[in-house]
Amino acid sequence: MSAIVELKGVSKTFYRGKEPVPVLENLDLQVEEGAYEALMGPSGSGKSTLLNLIAGLDKPTSGTAKVAGQDLTNMSDGELAHFRADKIGFIFQAYNLLPVLTAAENVELPLLLTKLSSSDRKTRAKTALRVVGLEDRMGHYPRQLSGGQEQRVAIARAIVNDPTILVCDEPTGDLDRKSADEILALLEKLNKEFKKTILMVTHDPAAAERAGVIRKLDKGQLQ
Amino acid sequence: MTLWSVAAKNTLRNKFRTTMTVLGGAVAVIAFIMLRTVLDAWNVGVEYAAKDRLGTRNKISFVIPLPKHYIDDVRNDIKGIKSASYCDWFGAKWPKDPNEFFANLACSDNIFESYPEMKVDPAVLERWKADKKGAIVGDVLAKKLGMHVGDKVVLTGSIYPGDWEFTVDGIYTAPAQSPVDRSTFFFHWDYKNEGAPAQMKNLIGWIVTRVDDPSQSAAVSASIDKLFDDRDMQTATMSERAMNNSFLGGISSILDALNIVSVIILVIMMLILGNTIAMAVRERTTEYGVLRALGFEPGHIRAFIVGEAITTSLLAGLVGVGLAYPFVQMGMGKWLEENMGQFFPYFRVNPMTALLALVLTVLLGAVASLLPAVRAGKMEVTEALRRIA
Repeated sequence: MSAIVELKGVSKTFYRGKEPVPVLENLDLQVEEGAYEALMGPSGSGKSTLLNLIAGLDKPTSGTAKVAGQDLTNMSDGELAHFRADKIGFIFQAYNLLPVLTAAENVELPLLLTKLSSSDRKTRAKTALRVVGLEDRMGHYPRQLSGGQEQRVAIARAIVNDPTILVCDEPTGDLDRKSADEILALLEKLNKEFKKTILMVTHDPAAAERAGVIRKLDKGQLQ
Repeated sequence: MTLWSVAAKNTLRNKFRTTMTVLGGAVAVIAFIMLRTVLDAWNVGVEYAAKDRLGTRNKISFVIPLPKHYIDDVRNDIKGIKSASYCDWFGAKWPKDPNEFFANLACSDNIFESYPEMKVDPAVLERWKADKKGAIVGDVLAKKLGMHVGDKVVLTGSIYPGDWEFTVDGIYTAPAQSPVDRSTFFFHWDYKNEGAPAQMKNLIGWIVTRVDDPSQSAAVSASIDKLFDDRDMQTATMSERAMNNSFLGGISSILDALNIVSVIILVIMMLILGNTIAMAVRERTTEYGVLRALGFEPGHIRAFIVGEAITTSLLAGLVGVGLAYPFVQMGMGKWLEENMGQFFPYFRVNPMTALLALVLTVLLGAVASLLPAVRAGKMEVTEALRRIA
């Protein structure tokens, strides 16, 4: 298997006023295609920053970041946006569905950036909802769904454009144990059956254990 | 689903706030339409001025009279005219209500030839010409003051002292959209001249001339003024449009102020809408971060915000026009024409005014959202998402 994520000598420094705050320091990372990896570490260790760099939401201060065969280091904001739309599926802790849109419309949202026809978009949104087991909730608004169901809609939104990598930031952080287990099972299914590479930031050891690889980050360094 | 429909749906997210914003905007649109309609009403005399009618007044001022024999000079010496009549401002009061203002004019017998828009029955006109104390009254004024044909009415002179008795010989009507005031009281200049004090006899206020060929109006105007160039009193002759314009010139500063206020009202609406949009954008920072993470570009975010502002302002414009239009056309306008016809002979919403209100509202709504939209577009994705990390 080839590396789908390849970070070399990556550092990221933020600035609090004029004072530099290093978050990641000279970090190397390789993630194989089709892997399911969990990233753990205390708050402020740089987990989300690392995830943002891999997902093309941010650029490293130094070093190189190659993801899905593309070098993100020198990409423009527009190129990064296209990269995210094509290659990355995001799953957030707080689901972040648009409350004014139905489940089907929320899932269809990323497809508005494609050239697909309206009927094709609807078909793909329906398929994605079927994969997460919510075909019967297509017309429901987020407020009419449970937390677990909302997160499943968010997962359908993340997979609807068939991304290469799923980036999950605390996907079970807002859920009870039963719902969390359902979501983790769904992620496993996406990894094993649909061959999606999954990178998951989590504080939950039970969630991390479901991943094939657990990486620990502390003070900007992988342990 | 389209990007536009997503933006439009966002307006319904906080229904109470959107409703209040739309109502606030609608009130501004109604105020704008009302003020513009007042301006239109005052300009209707200019807009619908006859092209073949000229007015001649004293060159110094409208309020300084001309010698009566000037009319004979015009009739005898000026070529290319089909009629020439004259009037004088009488300025009498209605004794039952001295505060009731209406134009009462002492005119030549052929005054109605100069204003074919005024419809008077030929038999009534003949009766009036034969009746020294006869008067012909506009239908709006007659209705308002309860005057009927055959009534004896008395006006109390202010410029020409004493009580003046008249008989209402007839009622004239005129189209609403014309320079003719349907609240005027016409009577014979000869009757006024007989009763006027010695120093005020044989004077007229202005001359109304109709030319054979409207394209020759300028030449005829010049020849009339040239006729009196060497006299003690010179004249200023102008088209009816110019004359009505000069009449409005006296209140031009008020009209300008109304014009400016009407636009300021919409600008205030824009600021209110801008504030609402800015609040909504602040509340949805995370959401815009999520959209950016999904691959939407800053331009999409700006379009969402401007689209939402346009939807809200369009709703405000439609509600405002939807309320103002029937209110004026079916109620207020008719009431004003019947009760304040001398100021508002035609008070109806011009469709162009309604369209202008709608276009300006949408345009200002879009402008109001530009600053929040640009700011949201510039926001770093990670900064926007940090609130949920």
